[in-house]
Amino acid sequence: MPEPLLSIQNVVAGYGPIEALKGVSLNVRGGEIVTLIGANGAGKSSTLMCVSGLLRARKGTVHFDGADITGFKPHTIVEEGLAQVPEGRKIFPRLTVLENLELGAYLRRDKQAIKTDLEKMYHLFPILGERRKQLGGTLSGGEQQMLAIGRALMSRPKMLLMDEPSMGVAPILTAKIFATIRDLNREGMTILLVEQNAHLALKIAHRGYVIETGSIVLEDKAESLLNDPRVKEAYLGDDD
Amino acid sequence: MAGGIRRAVIVHAGWFMLGIALLVPILDPLLPLEWKIAGHMNRIFIFAILGLGLNVVTGYTGLLNLGIAAFMAIGAYSYAILTCDIYPFRLGFWSAMPITICIGAIAGVVLGLPTIRLRGDYLAIVTLGFGEIVQDTLKNLDNITQGTQGINPLPAPTFWGHALNTQDKVAWYYLLLAFLALVVLVSRNLEHSRVGRSWIAIREDEIAATCMGVNPVKAKLVAFAMGAALASTSGGIYAALFSNSGEPGNYDFQISIIALCIVIIGGMGNISGVLLGAFVIGGFNSIVLDKLTTLLQQMGMVNTQNVLTVPGNWKYMIFGFALILAMRFKPEGLLPSRQLKAELHEAEEDERAENARGAA
Repeated sequence: MPEPLLSIQNVVAGYGPIEALKGVSLNVRGGEIVTLIGANGAGKSSTLMCVSGLLRARKGTVHFDGADITGFKPHTIVEEGLAQVPEGRKIFPRLTVLENLELGAYLRRDKQAIKTDLEKMYHLFPILGERRKQLGGTLSGGEQQMLAIGRALMSRPKMLLMDEPSMGVAPILTAKIFATIRDLNREGMTILLVEQNAHLALKIAHRGYVIETGSIVLEDKAESLLNDPRVKEAYLGDDD
Repeated sequence: MAGGIRRAVIVHAGWFMLGIALLVPILDPLLPLEWKIAGHMNRIFIFAILGLGLNVVTGYTGLLNLGIAAFMAIGAYSYAILTCDIYPFRLGFWSAMPITICIGAIAGVVLGLPTIRLRGDYLAIVTLGFGEIVQDTLKNLDNITQGTQGINPLPAPTFWGHALNTQDKVAWYYLLLAFLALVVLVSRNLEHSRVGRSWIAIREDEIAATCMGVNPVKAKLVAFAMGAALASTSGGIYAALFSNSGEPGNYDFQISIIALCIVIIGGMGNISGVLLGAFVIGGFNSIVLDKLTTLLQQMGMVNTQNVLTVPGNWKYMIFGFALILAMRFKPEGLLPSRQLKAELHEAEEDERAENARGAA
């Protein structure tokens, strides 16, 4: 079995006296989509924030691409090749679509390649090309999510961290976004996907982890989790 | 479309203003005494440079600095100590100015290092305190700074062996205009540089900026250093112009507030806005009030015994009133940056977007 690209070992983290993560471990191998599903407040976003450096791990380690990145600052994590699509998208609402995308490439200095990558983003999400001069804040929720994904890709990362890409997005655009995530993965991108919409996430993921009150309670292939009675009952609902 | 037209108008207005600025010393002698303005322009240029310095910190990076006058003072006193005969250095204008600018930048970093992690109001209070500390230090360190007397005389810039004196008004005018033009160019390049983009990203959303790989501590420190360097430049030129460091009280809180008014009323984060702000506020301060005083004196309406009849005494009340009116009717300033305009007119934008969606 190859060495995982991202490896989180026994991470404990929290906010003040509240312990949000009580020893979380998970691995993502190169080329995989791994999803972390769970209810509100289970610790999904906290896990991601420990990887991206926005939250400090009190115990445990995070390794990425062979290097120990535990406790790194967010801006150095990006340098390591881990790009983030944050929760609530966090695009720059008062900057144009183009300026948002350019900031995604902030760490790069290869002007020519940045230009070709911009064209790639406009090809991937044509709506961004149409609205390149428009302010980010005037886009719809789904379009903003596309912009956040495009912006993260502009750093040419080795891996993408995605936090709730379906949140606040119209269903038709959610489908489009998830199809894009799968396409990105087929072209070789490794993705850790945190998602409340377990059904959607497990449909495109290779493997999944289920987190409950700060601990991983299940880990399996995505299709097995989709058929697991416990997952079905707790996260997929009867409408499936 | 409207944006493009508005931009074109601003660009043309900018060239027009530059043309007028270049012609002022030539036309000025032709004007009747009460219309002469060239003598007042020097101060306006200096305030414009100070405003552009503050614009880097407050306009681009979004850090409220209430003590920018301290860096102007540091510039003025650095220039004075480097050049005045009573100190060992005795440099000329052209060798003292670069050092003055560097000292300003270092002072910016010194203030920035311990305070950079503070946010919003807390940072504003610290910068305000810094302004007071610098002033008091200059006042009390009188065996070095001559206390409240100021350091003088100071050498003026020399051109091919000729030192400018107070009679060379036209040369001074063009020298200060050239300095201002240089500072405008530096500001423009900074704004569009990598570090400039990181400043704007931090102002817009610091967490999102760090997720793009921006190191916020470094970016803010560079902003502090650049803002302080420009403010220090204005101080050095000011000292050279008046051949005097000025006394510490010349760099008090009111100067910081005037600089802030220039940036806010003009348009935060926009160079043309800051220039316009400097001309409106500086122009009012040194031209309108001055002319009004002369006019009223001629009419025999000024009684020096009665403070209420001297227009200059109404200055800060009028500034305060103008600021209130500006905040009420044009909170984004006269020539705002695009982002500021977007924020303060968000409701209208939303409505427009809504209408557009409805139409589609």
